[in-house]
This record gives sequence, structure tokens and C-alpha cells, in this order.
Amino acid sequence: MSVVSTDSPAVAGRIALQRGRWACVLAVMAAVLGAVTVLGVGWGAVRIPLGEVVAVLLDPQAHSASAFSTIIWDLRLPRVVLAGLVGTALALAGAGYQALFKNPMADPHIIGVSQGAALGACLAMVAGLQLQWAGIGAVPLAAFAGALAAAATVTLLARSAGGLPVATLLLAGIALGTLLNSLVSLLVFLSGQQLHSVIYWLMGGFSGRSWEYVRMCWPYVLAGSLLMLGLARELNALLLGEETAHHLGVEVEKVKFLLLGAASLLTATAVAASGVIGFVGLVIPHAVRLVVGPDHRVLLPAAGLTGATFLIAADILARTVLVPSEVPIGVITALFGAPFFIYLLLRRRRTDFHQGLD
Amino acid sequence: MIRISVNGVECRFGAREALRGVTLSVGRGEFLGLIGPNGSGKSTLLRTISGVVRPVAGGVLLDGQDVRRMSALDLARALAVVEQGDRATCTFRVWEVVMMGRMPHVGRLQRESLRDVQRVEWALQVTGLSALADRHLDELSGGERQRVVIAKALAQDTDILLLDEPTSHLDIGHQVEILDLLASLRETHRLTVVAAVHDLNLAAQYCDRLVLLDRGRVFACGEPETVVTRENLATVYRTPVMVTRHPSRLRPQVVLLPGRAPAQGSHAPAVHVVGGGGTASALLESLAAHGFRVSLGAVNVTDSDWETARRLGLEVIEAAPFSRVDELAAARALQAMEAARAVIVADMPFGSGNLLNLQAAAEVAERGRTVIAINGSIEGRDFTGGQAEAAFSRLLAGGAVVVSCWEEAVRRLHGLLGRTGAAVEPGGGEGAVLGGTRTGQVGAG
Repeated sequence: MSVVSTDSPAVAGRIALQRGRWACVLAVMAAVLGAVTVLGVGWGAVRIPLGEVVAVLLDPQAHSASAFSTIIWDLRLPRVVLAGLVGTALALAGAGYQALFKNPMADPHIIGVSQGAALGACLAMVAGLQLQWAGIGAVPLAAFAGALAAAATVTLLARSAGGLPVATLLLAGIALGTLLNSLVSLLVFLSGQQLHSVIYWLMGGFSGRSWEYVRMCWPYVLAGSLLMLGLARELNALLLGEETAHHLGVEVEKVKFLLLGAASLLTATAVAASGVIGFVGLVIPHAVRLVVGPDHRVLLPAAGLTGATFLIAADILARTVLVPSEVPIGVITALFGAPFFIYLLLRRRRTDFHQGLD
Repeated sequence: MIRISVNGVECRFGAREALRGVTLSVGRGEFLGLIGPNGSGKSTLLRTISGVVRPVAGGVLLDGQDVRRMSALDLARALAVVEQGDRATCTFRVWEVVMMGRMPHVGRLQRESLRDVQRVEWALQVTGLSALADRHLDELSGGERQRVVIAKALAQDTDILLLDEPTSHLDIGHQVEILDLLASLRETHRLTVVAAVHDLNLAAQYCDRLVLLDRGRVFACGEPETVVTRENLATVYRTPVMVTRHPSRLRPQVVLLPGRAPAQGSHAPAVHVVGGGGTASALLESLAAHGFRVSLGAVNVTDSDWETARRLGLEVIEAAPFSRVDELAAARALQAMEAARAVIVADMPFGSGNLLNLQAAAEVAERGRTVIAINGSIEGRDFTGGQAEAAFSRLLAGGAVVVSCWEEAVRRLHGLLGRTGAAVEPGGGEGAVLGGTRTGQVGAG
């Protein structure tokens, strides 16, 4: 090799510096997540001193006699953990779809996966199914099935000549999402007496979620997240274009398929656990990208941590602003997310909207 | 040793046939250039070799292995690709993108080794990007981005490099720099390079071999001298050009002729020149510049008119150096004169060596062809003891037009043939009864 080298290559220094920066950012994000978790457990209709929260969480045995122990362990903590899991799932799913479509507007809603999950859940609610599976009711299961069915349908609709063109996928997703949405509306209209519960569920939330939900969710969130993190390098290459990625050794179609599967699994899990919560998948990856840059090896873990933090914080707001009643969490995230979405729309309309569809 | 072999590849995009049976091979260490107009299939051919486009018929072998059967990773270790018109607008930094070139060599859970880092360092250095390494990709100019893509491909450290118009966004300084770099890498690393090159002159300068594509077919293939010719380019690009020679590297150079009617080219009127010893050089240049299809001869190889004609890419009927024009050459000269719309006899001395040319010209004059003689007197130019004088008399008797200098000859030619060759009146005295293929086109014009 006639490779010219210097004693301490500048690139090596850049890598070290970058890795150090990533570690710092992730550590800070993890610390913030920890702090928000403590707040989430402490705050609510009954305000628990934060010191007490930390003590109970760190050493449950010694504080089992504490007056707050039951509230913390049986009511607040599962709710906070579930919110964290759902936030992680939605943020990672959003980051995945954005890389897949090379379009920062992409989100679980845009390709119709959330709507598929919602339709599945509504069907179960209206049918009044009381089936149980591993302690989980029929509603989350049906949501799960609906999400996967929507992902499969949109993939089949958009597939052409062995490929999965981004523009076709987006159009198919919008069409399918609209169709599913109108079916949900029809169901809600026809359902009559269950109207209130269905609408409430559609708005999303963590009210009354127990450890059972956590137990149901975490394996899927973990599996989806690990799959996504494993694809981080391939997602980076895809940002340079599908042909470039191919030339760098990425099996593009396989990666897109896995990515779609992982992101849809995460979305379905989130919808099954907490109904439709919008905009997390849109806002979080964007905000995180501004801080850590485009590299998915740091973007994905950072988005996961921040998504959890964001949704736990939103849940705190949801149950504290109008005590004793709860604001649906979907309303809170939409209040943050919708203006952000409009801002992106206005900015992209002027610049390179068409490039994003290439 | 053959590294890439393309066998009867056909590609179709919908109804459009992008490649229609392309067969070629590239040897180890070769620098092959793909030239041809827009849409002739250069990019598609490259994308077929890199496994992005799957042909409907035929296939591509890489060291004997079918690319369709190779995994993307194996392909990425064998060949790197510099894609056309880099549109990447992402916010990666330059060094991060170049580092991605190491992806095929770094395991999923591995860290970049010192070797990876050094290769990236080197790629940044040779592409002149070291100072820009920390810039974001979307802050760069088109040319800088192009260099990033090239650096990424070099970092990939493959034996084969495919480039799709690698210099199209670069200024001339960087064009030469990048192509020099590729040429030197080919020397030092036995790198095999296949590049679609828009600029015909750069292609002719740097490539060992050129493939001229025309509407999905190989129109011509071979060394630059045989591919970059006036006829080939006029046919494929449908525009008249002048092909000269690079002053120091002796490779063909293409000079565009703006303002010429595109209908010229292969349909331009043919003119045959009898010259030699430099007497016709100025005339040849002028005729070529005016878009005539010019042939010369017969002349001796190494004669200065021969050199001029070769430089201009004209058709030359050759005789061996420093020997007389033999019967075979004379017969071919006669053939060219009969096929031409007009013959011009330069003001030149005639000896036994070139007498046959003059006799041939006299013959076509007698048959009613348009012949223009520069200088109506043979006095002082006959070194054959009267044979040339006799032939010259026949020439004049046959109706040759006499002019006094080459400029006047060109003017008269325009008058006789018309600028586009369509203005000749049938039945007229000069050049009217033309045989051969040219006649039909004149009549149609």
C-alpha cells in the first residue's frame, strides 16, 4: 500500500472527539430521563416528596412500609415506565421512517400504520370482545394485528418491479391512512354506546395502565429497538441515496424491509399500549438531529432516550394541569407537534420539498 | 487478464431500450472510457456493471463471477462507484462521508482500525479535501461534493473503479487533477477504471480505450485514434466537428464547429484534394473548417500534407513513405475522386512519384467531374519530362476551373457546390453528372 500516513492522523482525532461527544450527550440525556422519571413518579393527584420517591425506588425492601410505596410501585411507576417505552418506540419508529423515506415529514401516521392499529383496536372495542391472551385484552392485540396488516398492505401497494420507491410508498401510505381513518370514523359513528370510550382511547393516554402493559410491551420495544440500532450504519448509507448505499455493500431492499418491519412493530406496540399518540415520531428525531447530527449510530439511541423523556413529561402535564381530571396525552403532544409540523412544512415548501421525494 | 466482461447486455426501462446488446471486456489495469451522447446508455452500462440495474438479457462477469449472483457486500469490496450528479444534501461532514467508504471493510460491531483511518486520510489528501474535512456536505459547492464522492470511492480501496461523469462538476484544474490521479493510481495499484466521460477531449487524453455508444449500442470501440474520428462523431453526435491532434500527447482533440448546419456531417459534400509537400495544408484546414468531407491523396506517409490531413481526421489515401505512388494507391485515389463532388489540384510539382495522381484527376475531368486547378500553368512544375504537362493539358481540356490561389479555390467551391451542397443545378456543366451515393442526396436536397 502506498497509503500516505501521518503520525497522528487527524481523522483518528476526529473519531475520538466525536465518540466522546456522543457519550457525553447520551449520558446527559439518560440523566434527564432519570430525573423526569422521578418527577413522573412523584407528581400527580397526590404529591410525593421526591426524596421519598428516590428512596423507595432505590431500596424497595427497606421502604415497603412507606405510605407511598403502593402508589409508587402499583400506580405511578408502571405508568411512567410504559410512557417511556411508548415514547422510545414512537421516536425510533419515526427516525426509522424518516431514514427510509429520506423525508423528515415521515412518521408512523404518514404511512398509515397508526391508523391500521387504531382500526384494529376499534373493531375489538365495538365488537365488545372479551378475549384474553397472556393477560392482555383483545383491544391491544387487535391493534397490533391492524398495524402489521397496514404495514404489509402499504408495502404491497407500493412495491413495484422488485423495489420500494419512496414516492409510491408515501402516496400509498396517505391513501391507506385516509381509508382506514374513515373506517374508524364509520365504526365510531355506528357504535353508539361505546362512543365515549373509543374516542377517548383514540386520543391516547396512560391512565390506569398497569405492569401488565409494561410486560406486554417491553419485549417488542426491545426487539424493535435492537433491530433498528443494528441497522444504524445502513441507515447512514441510505441517507446518501439508495444506489450509493448499494455500492457501499448494503442490501438495500432487505434493509428497507427490515426497517419497515422494525418501525411498524414499534408503532404497533405503542398504539396497542396507549392508543394513538401523534407527533412524537416526527418531533423527537428532528429535535435530536439538531443536537447530535445525522449519524444514526448516535441519533437512534438519543432519539430513544429523548422520546421516553418527552412522553413521560407530556404524561406529567396531562395528569397535573387539570387535576382531578386528565387531559388526553395525544392532545398535549399534538399541541407541541402540530406547530412544529407546520413550521417544517413552511420551511420545506420554499426549499427542497421535491428533492425529499426523490 | 479480463476483469470485467459484458456479454450481450440488454436493458429496458419500460418501453425504452437503454442497452441493445452491448458486449465488451475490460482488462486489469485498463482505463476504459465510455463516450456517447446523452441517453446513449453510458450510465445504464455502468449501473449494469455495478449490479444496480438488472439486464433483461445477457450478463456481466466480474473476474468470471456473475454480478447478479454476488452479494452487495462482495460487490462493494470488488468495485467502487462514483455516481453522477451528487444530489446528497444531508448534513454529514466531509470526513464522515469519506469514512463511509470503509463500510465494506469494517464489521458491524467493529471499530475503524488504523488502516481504515489512514486510507481515509489519504483519500482526503489526494482529492484535496483535507482542509474541508470538517465541513458539512450541504455547505459545499458542486465540485467539492463531487470530490467527496470520489474520495469516498478511493477510501473504499477496490481494484475496480466505475465513474459516471466524474469531472462534470469540476473546473479544468480539478478535472485534470482527478484524471491525473486516476491515471497514476492505475499505474501504482493496477486499478481498473471504467469511466463515462462527457468531455471527448479528456476521454481521448486519458483513456487507453474508448467505447462510443450510440442509442444503446456499441458504435465504435478501440484506441482513441480509431474511435474519435470526424466520421464517427458526426454520425453519433449529429454535429460536425473537426478532429485535430493534441500538440504534445498525439491524442485526438475534438474542435467544435459552432454555427454549422447540423445536416452536414456525413451528408456534407465530399471534396478530394491532390496535394503533397505542404502545398495543400492551408487548403485542407480551410475545407475541413468549412465542413466539407475532405479526402487527400495519394500522398506519402510522413508528408506534411499527410500530417495535416491526419491531424484534421480527414480521409487519406496513403502511399509508403519516400516512394512513388503505386497503381493500387492511384486506383484508390481515382475512386475517391469519382466519389467526390469536386477535385482540387494543388499548386504543386509533379514528378514520377505522384504523376499517377494528376493523371487520375485528368481522367475524372474528362468524364465531366468538377475539377479545380490552383495555378493554370504547369510551367516549372513538370519533373517528368512532359508526361505531367500532357496530363495537365487533358485536365484543362476536360473543363477544369483554373484559380490562382487556395482561397479562391474554396470560394469557387462554394459557388459551384453551394454551402450545404444542395445548390448545384442538375444538368449544369460542372459536377452535375455525379455517380455514386452522393447523387441521390443532392437530388433530394
